[in-house]
Amino acid sequence: MKEVTLDCLGEACPVPLVKAQKALEDLAIGDVLIVSIDHSCAMKNVPEWAREAGHNVEIEEVDDGEWEVVIEKAK
Amino acid sequence: MSDTTENTPATGTTGGIRRSSSSRASKKPKKSTIPYGILLALVIGGIGVALGTVNFTLGFFWFTGMAFGFILQKTRFCFTASLRDPYLTGSTSLTKAVLTALAITSLGFWAIMYSAHAKGLPIPGQGFVVPFGVHTMVGAFIFGIGMVISGGCASGTLMRVGEGFLMQILSLTFFIVGSVLSAATFGWWQLNFINQSPKVFLPDVLGWFGAIVVQLLIIGFLWIAADKYGKAKGASDAH
Repeated sequence: MKEVTLDCLGEACPVPLVKAQKALEDLAIGDVLIVSIDHSCAMKNVPEWAREAGHNVEIEEVDDGEWEVVIEKAK
Repeated sequence: MSDTTENTPATGTTGGIRRSSSSRASKKPKKSTIPYGILLALVIGGIGVALGTVNFTLGFFWFTGMAFGFILQKTRFCFTASLRDPYLTGSTSLTKAVLTALAITSLGFWAIMYSAHAKGLPIPGQGFVVPFGVHTMVGAFIFGIGMVISGGCASGTLMRVGEGFLMQILSLTFFIVGSVLSAATFGWWQLNFINQSPKVFLPDVLGWFGAIVVQLLIIGFLWIAADKYGKAKGASDAH
């Protein structure tokens, strides 16, 4: 099982999502992608997209206004 | 939603996905922000009351503005995402939210305008009936490019700067620069482009009831289209 961290701190709204989509393509099933974000908008669309696509998603608030979206590739 | 989400943990749970402990960021103990919140609420309330005693409308605008910002932040309501996400992710939940908001405000504004009209009073908001034409579409297109690149439209940028996302101060700065430039040159644009297009006030064309019915039908049609699009996109993404 591989674990990849994607640093999207300071990136505005669509960028974390596009980067996460690209990064997830290269992973195998069961691998985990951790997206670090501090843009509240990405808090909504990254998990929503990943759930919609059928992956397992968790959100963790690391600090005030800083989150990690943990995506386990499921398919 | 797809049919493969039975093992998806609910939002905010931890521990469902195995991850190496080394990558888990060390959590700082968080200070409660509630005292700051109470203090801020008192300051906002105080300023609002002070403004209201000087000028009632000013105080009213202050509180409605605060309420708007609060809802925008808490709901992650984003006009940019409502138009961008259908293309980017196939998600139309925000698109539907914006359409619902438009339908509700349409009814509200219609009621205000119609009651004024029925009483023979001047119809409020006539100053906002502006010419519609090619310039609207060109402007909307440029605005659309700008808001996707900068990560927010006007309200979204303001809300995120307030929330503490400092990078968008850059967007805000150039948003102000652009607004000042356009305000300074607006007369020229108006003379050469805007005034050559017709002004359309729907109740004049379709009658009062026709206007609201047609408007709600169009919004309803867009809502159904967005719903179907979102479902079709979601399904194709999952397979």
